[in-house]
Amino acid sequence: MFPMLTLLSMFYYICLRRRSRSGTRSEALGSRRAVELGQRSALPVTVEVEQYGKEVLDFSSHYGSENSMSYTMWNLAGVPNVYPSSGDFTQTAVFRTYGSWWEQCTSSASRFRRTPPSFHSQDYLELAFEEPVYPTAVEVLETYHPGAVVKILACSLNPFSQNPPVDVRWEVLWAGKPNKALTPQARQFSPSIKQINFATNLLRLEVNSSLLEYYTELDAVILRGVRERPILALYKIPVIDINDLSDSEEEISEAGGLCCRSGGENRHNLGNGYFDRLPYELIQLIVSHLPVPDLCRLAQSCKLFHKHCCDPLQYIQLSLQPYWARLTDASLSHLLSRCTLLQRLNMSWTGNRGAVTAAGFCSFMKACGVSLVCLELSCCHFLTEACLEVIAQTCPCLQELNLASCDRLQPQTFNHIAKLTNLRRLVLYRTKVEQSAILSILTFCPELKHLNLGSCVMIEDYDVVASMLSARCRSLRSLDLWRCRNLSEHGLAELVSGCRLLEELDLGWCSTLQSSSGCFQHLARSLPRLRKLFLTANRTVCDSDLEELAANCSALEHLDILGTRMVSSASLRKLLQCCPRLKLLDVSFCSQVDSRLVQELSGLFPNVSIKKSFTQ
Amino acid sequence: MLSVLSYGRIVARAVLGGLSQTDGRDYSLITASCGFGKDFRKGILKKGMCYGDDACFIARHKSADVLGVADGVGGWRDYGVDPSQFSATLMRTCERLVKEGRFTPSSPVGILTSGYYELLQNKVPLLGSSTACIVILDRRSHRIHTCNLGDSGFLVVRGGEVVHRSDEQQHYFNTPFQLSIAPPGAEGVVLSDSPEVSDSSSFDVQLGDIILTATDGLFDNMPDYMILQELKKLKNTNYDSIQQTARSIAEQAHELAYDPNYMSPFAQFACDNGLNVRGGKPDDITVLLSIVAEYTD
Repeated sequence: MFPMLTLLSMFYYICLRRRSRSGTRSEALGSRRAVELGQRSALPVTVEVEQYGKEVLDFSSHYGSENSMSYTMWNLAGVPNVYPSSGDFTQTAVFRTYGSWWEQCTSSASRFRRTPPSFHSQDYLELAFEEPVYPTAVEVLETYHPGAVVKILACSLNPFSQNPPVDVRWEVLWAGKPNKALTPQARQFSPSIKQINFATNLLRLEVNSSLLEYYTELDAVILRGVRERPILALYKIPVIDINDLSDSEEEISEAGGLCCRSGGENRHNLGNGYFDRLPYELIQLIVSHLPVPDLCRLAQSCKLFHKHCCDPLQYIQLSLQPYWARLTDASLSHLLSRCTLLQRLNMSWTGNRGAVTAAGFCSFMKACGVSLVCLELSCCHFLTEACLEVIAQTCPCLQELNLASCDRLQPQTFNHIAKLTNLRRLVLYRTKVEQSAILSILTFCPELKHLNLGSCVMIEDYDVVASMLSARCRSLRSLDLWRCRNLSEHGLAELVSGCRLLEELDLGWCSTLQSSSGCFQHLARSLPRLRKLFLTANRTVCDSDLEELAANCSALEHLDILGTRMVSSASLRKLLQCCPRLKLLDVSFCSQVDSRLVQELSGLFPNVSIKKSFTQ
Repeated sequence: MLSVLSYGRIVARAVLGGLSQTDGRDYSLITASCGFGKDFRKGILKKGMCYGDDACFIARHKSADVLGVADGVGGWRDYGVDPSQFSATLMRTCERLVKEGRFTPSSPVGILTSGYYELLQNKVPLLGSSTACIVILDRRSHRIHTCNLGDSGFLVVRGGEVVHRSDEQQHYFNTPFQLSIAPPGAEGVVLSDSPEVSDSSSFDVQLGDIILTATDGLFDNMPDYMILQELKKLKNTNYDSIQQTARSIAEQAHELAYDPNYMSPFAQFACDNGLNVRGGKPDDITVLLSIVAEYTD
């Protein structure tokens, strides 16, 4: 029995080997024949896969309401709804801001030093696709005022896979300068992208709309790619691009790691040449112009520069936002020793997908937070309640805190902010802050000058908030109540009676305010210093409101009255005449204001940018 | 012993069969639409699914088929507002909600509420009002969920008889319940009903059931027996025959509307209320005719 089996198996083995060998031989013959004939080879044809976005996972801001499908970022997923038409449609993805209007306001953060000139991004969005592919093209369908996309990145992580993230890498597929297309018409933007060596189904688009005339609107993103890794042609040896070397995003963590080790490797103490003659302060001044990664690299060159580059005086202002893709807990721990005098820190956009942990951030704060005055933490999804508690404990001097779009923070987290009694500027745009927390913040932070509660949907009664502001925060200069659902004329009246120094007030899409109650006229009379007023989509704004503004608010610079049917040309003319500093006037969808009138007024008042959006 | 086992097996199968659906297959609606605007406005090129001031939509998502009709209230024309804008935008918004899956199959009121909310989120200042009727078929559970606000409505016909129908909601004669967006200051004067006051209903359907969703232009001009007569001519469940039947119903209603001597249901109702009128009621007519069939991809 058993010898028979072994004989049979040997027999089969030999036969199979022969068959396979003959197989390869015939294949080889076949391919040689193919080569001889010059016909198509036996290699499989790579099929290009085209995909529309499946889900928008993250974004920094959007125009629409939090539970809506109008002008919200979620519209970017799926097939295009508007393209190739152009116009201001609800089915597109729109960011919250455009142009330079918001930067001109006093409520914006002042620019951080050492921002690299190659970093232009103001907003971002992350879009996941169904299937990971090696990208060959990315097409962005822009349907209104195109030209905002400044960077496209691809991530090595598959957001839909159940496995925990390992080694998340972001690769820049394309980067460019902020642009302005010649017309606001729709276009398909398809820059030539870099080939990368991993499959991706997660793209990130960064935008800058500072040169655009109006809100940019995106309809869809198409990702074209191949499933198998494309074979690099033999003649094209992968050249190490010189730009890659100076690509600061790669270097900061490694630089941080190396810094502490290489204290100074000059074995022969030759001195530092002329550098020894320069005063310490002068070298500090020279070095202060370097962006942070270069600072880290310079620290590795010699002992003298190590001393200069690790001097805490170089790290009084630190912006890590341009390096969000590479910042990790390790980087933070290496920067720790130098940041003891830190006053302004920008960590917006950093640390997502596990790169920075709450613990790492907390230890950084404990070491470096004692002199902190300004802290930008927009879109930092690693933040937890513990982090806010540590911030409240260790940063008693904190004056500016930005938690915009930190929508994963639980409502009770915001109670800790009340301990920061020196707060002057607080941004809680698109967070889950609740009424009790904001009331307690307002009670204990009477120095507040700038407050942003845009799209804070969990606050139940804005009248109570307004009342508290009027009672406690009398030095308030700017207030953003974009899309606050239930502010009434009583709340507004209390607000303007208490906060007399208000210069900027955003009441866009606050539908409960009725002009017939006289609230806008009262507002105009109460706030002579008013410079910015947004009454976007308040359909009740009428001529008498504009006339009161003309009579009382001569300092007015920005005015948005989108979507009202009740404003006529006469009151607009009066306003333009009486407000010489007016720079922005948005009269989109005001039915009595047609393009002819806009043209005429633009001619008469050339310093005013009059905006009239369109849908067809 | 074997017979006990075999009996046991039969019993078990029967019990399980009774517990689970007798029919594990998904149902779907095959729908055709037809309609006529009140005036033959040939020059105006409206997007499909708009007939005069009426609008409708047919949409599907993973687990449900959804239909909707909306009848724009014509009285707005006197104030310089185009009544078709509101109904068309409402229907297109509801269609988009369905296509993006932002709804629950068992809650057509949710679609109306979300749709109305989205209308208010539009930068364009919409004005106007309309009735609305939404019909959802949940494919797996074989249930129809409906909600009706106003005097549009639906009929469910099985075996040549009407087994379900919607009720008209009127404030007073010729003034149905309506969703509306009024100009500022006129909110107290203009009728504005909330989606919550709509009538909802849910019921099971069987294969071969016919669902007719229409605006009052149909029901005011064609009594039930005429509609049933037309539906009897529907032979099979393919799209072309449904389209043909829908067309014939709409055409017949359109003809009757302009017949001055015909005692239409509208005239009958007016007479019952003391108004001595006769004839059809010229109005926009929208007809959505659906048959419940098996789901094929």
